[in-house]
Amino acid sequence: MTDADHFDKLKQAIIDQDEDEVLDAVNAALADGIGAKTVIDQGLLPGLNVIGEQFEDEEIFLPELMQAALAFQAAMTILEPKIKEEGTAGEKKGVVVLGTVKGDLHSIGKNILKLLYETSGFEAHDLGIDVDLFSFINKAKEVDADIIAISALLTTTLVGQRDVIDALKDAGERDRYKVLVGGGATTREWAESIGADGWAATAYEAVTLSTSLVS
Amino acid sequence: MIDLIEVFDRAETGPLISETDYYMKRYVPKLSEVIARHKVKWDKQTIINTDDALTDAVFEAAVDLIAEAGAYCPETNRVMQFSRDEIEVACAQAPRGATFGEGRERKTMYGRRPDTTDDRPWVHVGGGIYTSDEQVYMDTVEKMASFNIVDSVSVPSILHLRGKDSRVRSPQEILAACKTVRLAREGIRRSGRAGLPIINGISAASQPASMFAASYPDFGLRPSDGFLIDFLSEMVVGYEALQKVAFYNSISANIGSTSTPLFGGYAGGAEGVAVTATAYMIMGNLVFRGSYHYNAPLHSKLHLSSTKPLIWAIAMSNAAIGRNMGYPMVNLPYLGGGSGTKQYHYEMACYMLAVVTSGGNVFSGHPAMAVQTDSLVPDDHRFHAEIGLAAAKLTRAEAEPIAQKLFPLFGDKLKDPDKGLTFQEVYDMRTKQIVNAEYRKAMDEVREELAGMGLEVPVS
Repeated sequence: MTDADHFDKLKQAIIDQDEDEVLDAVNAALADGIGAKTVIDQGLLPGLNVIGEQFEDEEIFLPELMQAALAFQAAMTILEPKIKEEGTAGEKKGVVVLGTVKGDLHSIGKNILKLLYETSGFEAHDLGIDVDLFSFINKAKEVDADIIAISALLTTTLVGQRDVIDALKDAGERDRYKVLVGGGATTREWAESIGADGWAATAYEAVTLSTSLVS
Repeated sequence: MIDLIEVFDRAETGPLISETDYYMKRYVPKLSEVIARHKVKWDKQTIINTDDALTDAVFEAAVDLIAEAGAYCPETNRVMQFSRDEIEVACAQAPRGATFGEGRERKTMYGRRPDTTDDRPWVHVGGGIYTSDEQVYMDTVEKMASFNIVDSVSVPSILHLRGKDSRVRSPQEILAACKTVRLAREGIRRSGRAGLPIINGISAASQPASMFAASYPDFGLRPSDGFLIDFLSEMVVGYEALQKVAFYNSISANIGSTSTPLFGGYAGGAEGVAVTATAYMIMGNLVFRGSYHYNAPLHSKLHLSSTKPLIWAIAMSNAAIGRNMGYPMVNLPYLGGGSGTKQYHYEMACYMLAVVTSGGNVFSGHPAMAVQTDSLVPDDHRFHAEIGLAAAKLTRAEAEPIAQKLFPLFGDKLKDPDKGLTFQEVYDMRTKQIVNAEYRKAMDEVREELAGMGLEVPVS
């Protein structure tokens, strides 16, 4: 089997969202001497790109996206130790801390965003729902984040997005991070009014915007 | 039917599971299984289904979904399980009517069967859109309540106190919720219809404490109004919802079980949304003891409900419940077009033709995805109620070709909808008469176009 055959197999296994198929393809590629980072860059990530496009085009939905992400994560349990051995750790696109603001218990949009970040090459740290504003900031410091992405679905919780930005300003750290806001109750005008670095109507747009902000 | 305490106990005694595992190992695979088992399939062309066998298959799939996946309580990390027998008894014993209002405004909303053309459906108007100003708020409510075809209203939100927006869970939110219902009741009183019910209680309350506070009778809401209790995420029954269930059942108030299954989310596409929406209506009675259901499926990216697969799924869920359960339903549309735009009217007409002929009652809805402040323009809602009443005279088969003609008029605009008007841009703020000629013209033209398509919409 040529390297190109291995890459096709890896890509297709991710597109099929089949964890067993992914693990078999990863093991076969490694056995034939392909480096772990190359397996990711030329096999798995192209598959995840297709998954992302299919999700955007409504050919697949959140369950399939999650299945593909789980298969990728399973592959990474094999590949990460190899990457350390090889000393070939590559560049991430960026590091993101995300969550839903304090008082808001909505999770689906934020969960989709997390998956799209991960499948697009970002390191994503999901703080969950009902997140205290200082948790955003502390986590961003801890992981040296590039972006803080804050979701709010309710009109009464919108102010939580402004609070994070205000707290960053008070701490003198506003310029250290790009802050993106989104969620059902938000608008571009709201984002501008609170001084956010960006607003996205959809998770896919948020990832595209994030890519441009960190590049 | 199993009693309420037993329902609450199910959240304490079911199998332990993480939320991710609930979705990936129970809800998602079970949803796929029941869709395949019952051969639920959208043909991608139809807007309004007329196949009763398919409709009944959706209902059976929904019953199986509840029996096999259960609901999830995030506070206890347990699955709330219900047997097929328990679910079927809840369906059989579901209310067929919900009585709202006081005095001469006291009426009953009934569950409707698809293709019923000789009844007069319940007419509900309004929405919980944010309002910037107390005067605009009162005028909006007064004007909507004054339309004589209206049986109940959804009132907007007003969140600010002394010029500041109130924050979720704050004491100000409790005051804002109380203010909302006081203003709303006063607006209704000014319309001359003091007993008219508010059935979206309470739009400014995001937490049980605010809802309970604003339910104090002196503030204006009564058990004969309607109180919304929602499923938070797909099949999630949280403690906050169960607290509201406990309280509103304790004061014997009308409960509007509310659900927003997301197209593109865990429910997947059209088939998954149809089955999940139907399951929510069944659980609305089984778990929440609802008197009526607020059905509000949404597109996860576009944040609206007027795509072709969503309209199909929403209508299908109405037909499934209408044929098999008879639970009273209204459907809350989130539309893309702004107030007063032709796009908004086309979307609403297509939506009404689908849901009202399929067994839903009439409910006008949100323009501009419900995010434009002051965008509740009462005459839009009167027109849309008139469209709903006209649609109620048609069968699904008669409505489908009209819906097919309407969809191309707005389908391509859903990703970038037409911007609309605000209350202040339509009305003279002193006389409350329409002064925007373009607004009136667009409505008149759409009324003519609808007549040309075969839907005569008389002026009420």
